Amino acid sequence: MTKLQKSAWFNLIAVSMCAIVGGVGFSLLSLLNAKGIHLIFIFFIVGSLTGLGICVFYRKKSPEAGFDERERMINKRAFGMAACALTIFLACICIIPFFVLGGQNVIKVYYLPLIFLGTLFAAQFVHSVAILVMCALEDDDEQ
Amino acid sequence: MSSDRLSNKVRRLRFDNGELTQQQLADRVGVTRQTIIAIEAGKYAPSLPLAFKLARTFGVSIEEVFEYENER
Repeated sequence: MTKLQKSAWFNLIAVSMCAIVGGVGFSLLSLLNAKGIHLIFIFFIVGSLTGLGICVFYRKKSPEAGFDERERMINKRAFGMAACALTIFLACICIIPFFVLGGQNVIKVYYLPLIFLGTLFAAQFVHSVAILVMCALEDDDEQ
Repeated sequence: MSSDRLSNKVRRLRFDNGELTQQQLADRVGVTRQTIIAIEAGKYAPSLPLAFKLARTFGVSIEEVFEYENER
């Protein structure tokens, strides 16, 4: 297994775990609908964004460090697919509620960072899966 | 409509040069074994620097390793 594949597996597992834990937590909190729930949402959102910021700005190595030229090419293709997924996901998440709930409804502002994080998770998920699929397709001709 | 194809003799040259394994060749040119596999299978066209590294590893010119075919 190459470094690119290991990195893709790590990202895939991390994103899946975050999505499952976040999804379950979000659903439970929404169902409970307790007083002060928005404070919990804000705490989780600020925490998630801070973690994301630390990962992006204080990373010591480039994300492509240790990849060879073919792996960089695969990574770029996967990035393109992730950008498409990000656009589609964002379009769906913004347009579907309009038709389902109707134009007169309003949403709470603290859903917006959740939508942002959900979009990033979806893009990262597609990025990792695309890398693993492309590597698997090329690995079938080994010596 | 034209079809470009880059064929190569990497596999044969590996065996002609002391039966180098894909991993040994990959280590010498600084890529992964999967990249060597992809090049040998014609699934990946290497960059010019990597093509030169491969040719120098085998001690031959780049034209002896890679052949460009353009069918119109």
